[in-house]
Amino acid sequence: MRDVAVELGGRPVLRGIDLDVGWGEVLALLGANGSGKSTLVRTLLGLVPRVRGTASLFGEHVEDFGDWQRVGFVPQRASATSGVPATVAEVVAAGRLSRRRPFVPLRRADRDAIATALEVVDLSHRARDGVSTLSGGQQQRVLIARALAGEPDLLVLDEPTAGVDLVSQQVLADALAHLVGRGVTVLLVAHELGPLAGLVARTVVMRDGRTAYDGPAIDLFTDAAAHHHERNEHPHLDHTPTVASPLDPTTRSRP
Amino acid sequence: MSVLAYDFVVRALLAALFTGLAAPAVGTYLVQRRLALMGDGIGHVAVTGVALGLLTGTAPLLTAVVVAVLGAGAIELIRARGRTSGDVALALLFYGGIAGGVLLTGLAGQSAAVLNRYLFGSISSISTGEVAMTVLLAAGVLLVAVGLAPQLFGVAQDEEFARVAGLRVGAYNLLVSVLAAVTVTVAMRTVGLLLVSALMVIPVATAQQVTRSFRATLLAAMAIGTLAALGGVSVSVFVRVAPGATIVLLALGGYLVAYPVGVLLRRHARIRRPFEDPAEAWALERDHDVDHTTADEDHGHQHGPDCGHPAVRHGDHVDYVHDGHRHAPHGSHYDEH
Repeated sequence: MRDVAVELGGRPVLRGIDLDVGWGEVLALLGANGSGKSTLVRTLLGLVPRVRGTASLFGEHVEDFGDWQRVGFVPQRASATSGVPATVAEVVAAGRLSRRRPFVPLRRADRDAIATALEVVDLSHRARDGVSTLSGGQQQRVLIARALAGEPDLLVLDEPTAGVDLVSQQVLADALAHLVGRGVTVLLVAHELGPLAGLVARTVVMRDGRTAYDGPAIDLFTDAAAHHHERNEHPHLDHTPTVASPLDPTTRSRP
Repeated sequence: MSVLAYDFVVRALLAALFTGLAAPAVGTYLVQRRLALMGDGIGHVAVTGVALGLLTGTAPLLTAVVVAVLGAGAIELIRARGRTSGDVALALLFYGGIAGGVLLTGLAGQSAAVLNRYLFGSISSISTGEVAMTVLLAAGVLLVAVGLAPQLFGVAQDEEFARVAGLRVGAYNLLVSVLAAVTVTVAMRTVGLLLVSALMVIPVATAQQVTRSFRATLLAAMAIGTLAALGGVSVSVFVRVAPGATIVLLALGGYLVAYPVGVLLRRHARIRRPFEDPAEAWALERDHDVDHTTADEDHGHQHGPDCGHPAVRHGDHVDYVHDGHRHAPHGSHYDEH
């Protein structure tokens, strides 16, 4: 993204954003509510119009981009349900839409990808259950499996851990580790990293629509956010508001 | 089978069959997008189309299709673009449609009785040409609604995800609106413009009482819609009742039967569902030392195998369900789990 600015309803939400995500990088976008981190990824994906600047995916302007099967997106949603019942497998099957032609039924490759995606998030045994019978954390895992089913090269997750139980966070961390091992680029929006901390190599902190920090993951976002009471190596950071003011002089950043 | 010897009965049954199949198929996507009343809105707009046909002397079915499609497009546009009070904008369109219809009918010098045929259906007076057109349009609707099911499902389920999957979300949404408009006009002679939404929505509501997959809901809704439509026409052959109203009431009756079944099924599923991965969750809770909440209630007794409180295995220990809480013995007190 180059010099990107975004306004929503006339209000500036993003200003002067320059961000490059390299191949195979695992990048976490952190920031307080309203700092623009969700807007940033949605702009990158072309879901939000820009007032200036350019956004490119795989070297192509997002407006001209057509290779959507290379992108997996996990939107910020409270649930995976809609007005009509659907099974876990059906929701995950929607992840294959970027690779399917209209009027052509599911092929073998599609079915395999769906099964694999369900395995990765540890929900194979619930494939035929209705999504509405799953807990919030499990529904989040369904949405992640849906993105994985498209076998993307770039995975964009918007707050995948918000309001998700510890078990599901751990499953998510394992699933991401599996993807990172395959060389998938991960762009993650999060409030706190929790079990994901070990995977994230680079963090970008947003504040008031600008990038306030860009560099390696620092302790502040990782250990303190995970609430590891018994392994508390940095007691003075315990329960610090995780991303309130990362660049304040008190922060022990290790660039 | 002597009644089948009457041509009008065969025509009516044929129209009912295709209407009963197509209306719930489109209705499923409307319900999924939580736009259950959209069919009703399009129906209102189509009244103007019918009146336009009466005024100009062209086939009302044709003008109704055109006006309904335009109206559906307008509704979709308002829905997609309009950020402020979309429902008020829709209401304006609905009432504009029905008022325009009544006005134009009057201008055409036709009586309200003529308009009534379209408002409440008059399947027994349907002509061969109209049946052919009904069958053709309904078949087209079915082909698209079933053939593009994965795409339409994906778009209705999560628009943003569908957009990032490279689907042209706006085009698919417009497609559903157009399908709805065509269905409304197809069903206009069967159940009537004011009742058509019922045939689109009630079978879906009935089906989802007992189904848990989208596919099953779609197919069951189509089956229920067909049964209701054929049943309603059959009843009206023998008894002097309005076929459209009979079809809708039959469908509603089906819903009333399915609802308690659905309540029982959901209750059963809820009770049977195990507490989530107890062993795993417990291990994590222990490792991270989270959720250590002491139960404040005064325990008059010790929980145990004979205390009468339901016992639930929770990882490496047993919880007791006490006043809706799960209590786990922890030394001298109980923890809330």
